[in-house]
Amino acid sequence: MGLFKISQGRSLWMVHFCTGCGAVEMPPTMTSRFDMERFGVAPMATPRQADVLLITGYLTVKTLKRVIMVYEQMPTPKYVIGFGSCTVNGGIYWDSYNVIKNLELYIPVDLYIFGCMPRPESIIDAFLKLRKMIEEGKANKWKDYIERYDWYKQNQAKLFDVNKWRVQK
Amino acid sequence: MKMEEKVVEELKNILGNLGEVWIQREKRVYAKVPKNLVLPLLAFLKDKGFHQLTAITCVDWLKKGKFELIYNLFSLNYEGVHVFIKTELERDKETMPSAIEIFPMAFDYEREIHEMFGIVFEGHPRLDNFILEDWDGPPPMRKDFDTAKYVEEKYGVKDYAEELWRRREQPYREEKDE
Repeated sequence: MGLFKISQGRSLWMVHFCTGCGAVEMPPTMTSRFDMERFGVAPMATPRQADVLLITGYLTVKTLKRVIMVYEQMPTPKYVIGFGSCTVNGGIYWDSYNVIKNLELYIPVDLYIFGCMPRPESIIDAFLKLRKMIEEGKANKWKDYIERYDWYKQNQAKLFDVNKWRVQK
Repeated sequence: MKMEEKVVEELKNILGNLGEVWIQREKRVYAKVPKNLVLPLLAFLKDKGFHQLTAITCVDWLKKGKFELIYNLFSLNYEGVHVFIKTELERDKETMPSAIEIFPMAFDYEREIHEMFGIVFEGHPRLDNFILEDWDGPPPMRKDFDTAKYVEEKYGVKDYAEELWRRREQPYREEKDE
């Protein structure tokens, strides 16, 4: 447990990227009632300066493309928190034709928060757990994305054409 | 005389025996017409002051083998009376003439119905993917679309209840440190 890891875990910047219905839990978490900034967690507008990607809820295939694009732009080390039961197995969208079921197949996930919806306390709890994992050197799923890049791309290619797709200007 | 009855009378005058007209409930007037009379009726109602096409709905009647299209018109000139124009199409065979020239806002409604039900609108300039990007399956809102089978093939999800039972037999244990 070096000084570098301790300071890294105490200054987590989160991409302000809200998907699904879990986004409604973010304002109370950010603002004065629960105030996640006292743990060094702050929202950040751009992926280039962020450490954490919080997936707040269900992802359609269309949103998943944007999430992957944001994730690949983030500098390492980077962490992903899956928020709510939708990211675990689809949640109430378990038989929907357009919602992905298991987030882990497409981007690596360090930590899941269960519940529908999780309370702000559990979000803060997840950030504390993530801090602990960083200090112990366990939160290194981002290496997995580099090592098994082909496997992730293969899974993504089942849903959309990985090479062809670009953001339309 | 109530406003609904006035609207019904106007519709009956112009339709005659060609279609049914009735009042479903307060401020809801329904008209059921054959396919080729929908566009003339829309144009007629627009002249009369129904300027807003609020929605086009599609219903899939699988046992009857029909698609039912419902055009929802609204007007403030008639004390907020809604007029619903219903028509039936044969499943998978018939096409529908597009209503864009009368109501430009039909563009998106028709495009969505084409995507979700697969109905072809003649004269529509752009019937490609709308909300579902890269969609490769059959139209998902049809009654004969097997959602569970499609999900299993595309997302690799097995029977959910079985999976839960399996997990109950093998409870989650924390991973040991390497």
